[in-house]
Amino acid sequence: MNNTKKPFRLSLGMMITCLMLVLAGCSTNAAGESNTSAANATALPTENDSKTLTIAYTWNPAGVDPHGDDSWDVMRSGAGETLIKLNEQLQPVAWLAKEWKQEDANTWTLKLERNVTFHDGKKMDAESVKASLLRSTQNSHLAKDLLLVKDIEVVAPDELKIITTQPNSAIISSLADPSTIILDVDSMKKAGSYPAMTGAFKIKQFTKDVSLVVERYDGYWGQAAKLKEVTMKFVTDGNTRLMALQAGEVEVATDIPIDSIELVEKDSKLEVLSAPSVRTHMVLFNMNSALFKEKANREVVDQAIPREAIIESVMRGYGTKAKSPFPEILPFGKVAEQAAGGTTEQLLSADGWQKNAAGMWEKEGKPFEATLLTFPHRPELSVMAEIIQNQLLNEGITVKIRKVENIDAELAKSDWDLAMYSMLTAHTGDPQYFLNIFYQSASESNISHYVSKPLETVINKLNESSDTAARNALAIEAQGIINEDLPQSFIVHPDNVFGVKKGVKGFIPHPIEYYYVTADVDIT
Amino acid sequence: MLRFWLERAMQMLLVIFCVATLTFILMRVSPGDPARILLTTHNIPASQEAIDALREEMGLTDSLWSQYIRWLGDVFTWQWGTSYMSKEPVAGELLKRLPATLELASAGAFVMLLATCLIGLVTAIFSTGLLDRMGRLMALLGASIPSFWLGFLLIYFFSVRLGWLPSMGRGSIAHLLMPAVTLGLGLGAVYARVLRTNMLEMNSQNFVKASRARGLSKGRILIFQVFKHAFLPILSMLGTSFAFMLGGNVIVETIFSWPGLGKYIIEAITARDYPVIQGYVVFTSFLFVAIHLAVEALYVRLDPRLRAS
Repeated sequence: MNNTKKPFRLSLGMMITCLMLVLAGCSTNAAGESNTSAANATALPTENDSKTLTIAYTWNPAGVDPHGDDSWDVMRSGAGETLIKLNEQLQPVAWLAKEWKQEDANTWTLKLERNVTFHDGKKMDAESVKASLLRSTQNSHLAKDLLLVKDIEVVAPDELKIITTQPNSAIISSLADPSTIILDVDSMKKAGSYPAMTGAFKIKQFTKDVSLVVERYDGYWGQAAKLKEVTMKFVTDGNTRLMALQAGEVEVATDIPIDSIELVEKDSKLEVLSAPSVRTHMVLFNMNSALFKEKANREVVDQAIPREAIIESVMRGYGTKAKSPFPEILPFGKVAEQAAGGTTEQLLSADGWQKNAAGMWEKEGKPFEATLLTFPHRPELSVMAEIIQNQLLNEGITVKIRKVENIDAELAKSDWDLAMYSMLTAHTGDPQYFLNIFYQSASESNISHYVSKPLETVINKLNESSDTAARNALAIEAQGIINEDLPQSFIVHPDNVFGVKKGVKGFIPHPIEYYYVTADVDIT
Repeated sequence: MLRFWLERAMQMLLVIFCVATLTFILMRVSPGDPARILLTTHNIPASQEAIDALREEMGLTDSLWSQYIRWLGDVFTWQWGTSYMSKEPVAGELLKRLPATLELASAGAFVMLLATCLIGLVTAIFSTGLLDRMGRLMALLGASIPSFWLGFLLIYFFSVRLGWLPSMGRGSIAHLLMPAVTLGLGLGAVYARVLRTNMLEMNSQNFVKASRARGLSKGRILIFQVFKHAFLPILSMLGTSFAFMLGGNVIVETIFSWPGLGKYIIEAITARDYPVIQGYVVFTSFLFVAIHLAVEALYVRLDPRLRAS
């Protein structure tokens, strides 16, 4: 009898232990929560001082070092600032640097704002900016590639000189990249403290996987922030972000999934904010593929893409038709549309293709069959792939869609014909970096394996030119060559879409994806 | 007994060695260049020079053999390398997130246990009525409803429509309720059917008949004899499920933005953070083996026949 009672007590004990474990975990957290509430309660001295905003934020940064891989997240929090800012027309304007001048092909001088202090109270001067820029080029590969710094000299307490390894006319725009955020380098040496930057908000608390909390910096050199505190909650799932907004747990949700926009539009308490982006959704042609070595075949696919219908149905109107890698909001994005080279029949017949009894194109007994890669991280691309597949089937061409987990890894192999892809093409408002990395034949990022000597000549001229009008003209010329050769078909420039609670003011979506929180953001 | 535990410890070391080796091989044959992925986080193309420099920094230019030896050293010195994303030791990164996962898995296991016992008991007592049909339906739904769908359904009703519970994050019992139910309810409903069947079988056993003949009350027989014996086979299933919840509640953590290991590993896989993925696999295999050992030990204690053998 004893033997049978004992095991039962054990299993009962297991259940109780399980319950205790749960309650212990919860009670710890409940205590944590009440502490937070108490802290909030003490932070309510006046009505104006108590305004806070919570954002459901798409990404989950691993850290807050502005010169690491998460510099964009730091910039989005309103804590970091760069020497140059990009305005809504994506032109470089003064920020921490109030003016700049080109001395010769490789030398630029910049005058700094004088009354700027870091979040630790130290004054920002040319020495500290030099140290910060050198740190960013040492720690960030992107900053190193963008700035091409050979040396930085302090000319005066508020003036510094940047000498580049080669002519780099894009340097002013590049100084707007978040990887060049200015910080007090010494603050990074102190264990347990956050980076001291110059933004309207300073970092209050960063909890990995949970949130980044920034609070108003009272010593800010510009107009003081209207909000006391902003919390960016890291919510990677799009549906959860949307439901958190609908439930009123957050006031702003970034990157609303396209197919959920309608829900926000219908909700009387919410609104959709959007801005054109510098992102381009495109179809890549593998120039090494037996099928798409032929330009006629690329033209047939290009003409079959129903761009207007895709914007209307897939993008729900939140996007603009793409004619080239760069959107029209950029001064070098206004390119002429490529004239059609002929109908599918004309193009393929001239290239030796014939329609078989089933109405499908074939050449030397082989049907026109292509493989189109797509990937799950941007679901709208897969829908576009299906539309293109259907359009081409109507033209007598078979497209097999292959969904891959990692598109870049698959593209590195040679057994693909077509691929859906998406890139930020002018993330500093300048064409130089993208053209160099994406189209130079020696670049590993030239994923279409496209080689064009005339294009490379134009890009090299662009690299050496410092005159803005001439640079824009060269960028347009480069796009003319790209559109003529057609290594990619550009489909749409998608908008950046946010869902916000009505009453949120000053949250202005920007074409560049790294300006979210500013001193102007407010809530009523 | 000492020999029993020594054997188990050796088995555990062998399992970890095999898992560590297999994970290393699988990581290296899987597509994706971590250097390129890390540099193109924001969909900006990366220069060749930057890719090469980062590959060197990550140690990916070393021979596979020296990478493997370094990895084995990391495993058996309990370090597991440094994360490519955070530049911090993997062991620390995993241990930081373990309490959140442990909390959710324990709550999920509690819901599972509660559902198993409640539904199992009720449907066994009323084995031919409406309640039994409802129990069968619940088991069917539990087995067939995907957890992501149940999770979103709960968020929609309890957060968006009713505003009773927070839709995401960790912090209080209110935060824990929906993820725990999503995690535990489905399995609980399935195990309840197993418990019911076991209890009905036990009902016809001689020792139960004898108890009835001795005049013991129906409730006492049901709880202290039938339920107790019928529950024993479920114990090992619960152990496996708990280990599964610790290592595999990826979907639930992502839906509810729960800052645990599951959510972390998804991000690490996306970023091809080799040291984190490898460390996670070894860590969870260690948990699995440890939990299985604990269940085995408990089983031996509960069933005298096993102890004798």
